[in-house]
Amino acid sequence: MPVVTLSSDSHPLGREIAVRAATALGYDCVDREILKAVAERHDVPETDLHKALDESPSPFGISSKNHARYLAYIEEAALAVLLKDNVVCRGLAAHLYVRGISHVLKIRILADPQKLAGEISSGRTLSFEKASALLKRREGFRRRWSLAAYRVDETDPSVYDMVISLTRIDPDEAVKTIVETTGYRKFKPMTYSLKCLKDKALASRVRVTLMEQFPDVTVQADGSSVVVQTKALEREKQKRTEVIKKLAGEFPEVAAVEVQILPDIFRKAAESFR
Amino acid sequence: MAGKLELLLLDDEPIVGKRLKPALAKIGCNVEVFEDPKQALDRIHQKTFDIVVTDIRMDEIDGLEILEHVLRKSPRTKVIMITGYAMMAVAREAMEKGAYDFISKPFTPDDLRKVIAMAAQALGSPIDSETADPEEPSEPAETR
Repeated sequence: MPVVTLSSDSHPLGREIAVRAATALGYDCVDREILKAVAERHDVPETDLHKALDESPSPFGISSKNHARYLAYIEEAALAVLLKDNVVCRGLAAHLYVRGISHVLKIRILADPQKLAGEISSGRTLSFEKASALLKRREGFRRRWSLAAYRVDETDPSVYDMVISLTRIDPDEAVKTIVETTGYRKFKPMTYSLKCLKDKALASRVRVTLMEQFPDVTVQADGSSVVVQTKALEREKQKRTEVIKKLAGEFPEVAAVEVQILPDIFRKAAESFR
Repeated sequence: MAGKLELLLLDDEPIVGKRLKPALAKIGCNVEVFEDPKQALDRIHQKTFDIVVTDIRMDEIDGLEILEHVLRKSPRTKVIMITGYAMMAVAREAMEKGAYDFISKPFTPDDLRKVIAMAAQALGSPIDSETADPEEPSEPAETR
C-alpha cells in the first residue's frame, strides 16, 4: 500500500483529516509527537524543532546553521517512519523532501478561507478583514519558508498528487477520497520506488552524521554508494575527503563513498584580502 | 513447482540478455531472450509466458506497448519493467497499466531473481531465488 503525506494550511484540520484517514486505512498516523524522541536523540530542545518547522532562521531566533541541522534531524526521523510503510505522515514537512517517489501519495488539504478567517477573528478579537489579511501573510510566509528550506513552493498545487479544498468538499468526503486513492495501482509500491525511499533515508542519515562537522554537506545515495558534496579550500581537500570517507563508511549499508569537494570561493576571497 | 517458469526477456542491449539468461535459468526459468521488440511481440502472440521482463526505452516499440500487448493476450502474465531512465511518472504509468513490478538499472541478477521469485509466488508456482551460484559476481547487469 502507498504511504501518505498530508499537509494543510490549517494545523487542526490537517491533523483531523490525517487521523481519520489513517484510522480508515488501518495505518499509523505520524505527527509532530515524534519530535520528542528526535530531540532526545540529538540532545536539542524539542521546542526548537517545532520552531524550525514553523519559523525562518533569524538573528533573534534559530541560527541558519541550527535551522538546517534541526530540519535534517526531522527529515531523517520522518524518512525512517515512512520506510516502515502503512503510515500517514503529517506536520513534518515530508511533502517537501519526499519527492519523486511513486508510492508516496502527497495530499494537500485547504481549509475554507472564510471559515478559517472567521475562526481566527473570533478567537483573537480581530476583524474578519484583518484575519483574512493575516491568512494571506501566513500563506506568503509558508511559501518563502518552504522555498528557503527545500527550494519547493509549498503553496504550489503541482507539488501534490491531490489538493482537496474543504470549501466545497466536506471532511468525510475528503477522507473517503484519500482512502479510495490509495487503492489506485499507480501508487502501489514497487522495487524502484522502495529503493528510492531507502536511498533517501540512507542519504539523510549520512548527512546528519556529517553535518556536525560539515554543515553545508549534501548527500545522495544509490544503493550502497553515497556521493557527498561539500565546499572547502584547496589545502583542506585531502583531510576533509578522508574524514568524510571514514564517517560515511561507518554505516554498514555503505560500501562506497565518493567525495566531491567544491571550491569555497567566499572563504578563498576572504583569505586573499588578509 | 510443477514445471519450469516460461520467461521472456526483452532488452535491446545484448549484454542484458547475455548476463541474465544463465542467472535466471539457475532458478528454474525457461528463458527466451529477445533484442528486437517486434520479434518479441511475434513470440508473445505465439506463446503464453508466465513472466515477461522488458526494457522500457527501445526504438519503434517501447516497453509500455509490450506491457499492453502481453496483458491483452494473457492477463495472468506478470510483466516486470526494467529501465535505465526511471522516473516517477513512467513508474506510475507502468503500474497503472498493470505492470507487476518496476526496476531501475543498474541492478544485479540477484535483484531480478528476487522479483521473479515474488512473481512466481503470485502465480502459484513458488521458486527459490537463493538457488543461484554463490560465486556468481554480484555487479550490476549493465549501467544504462
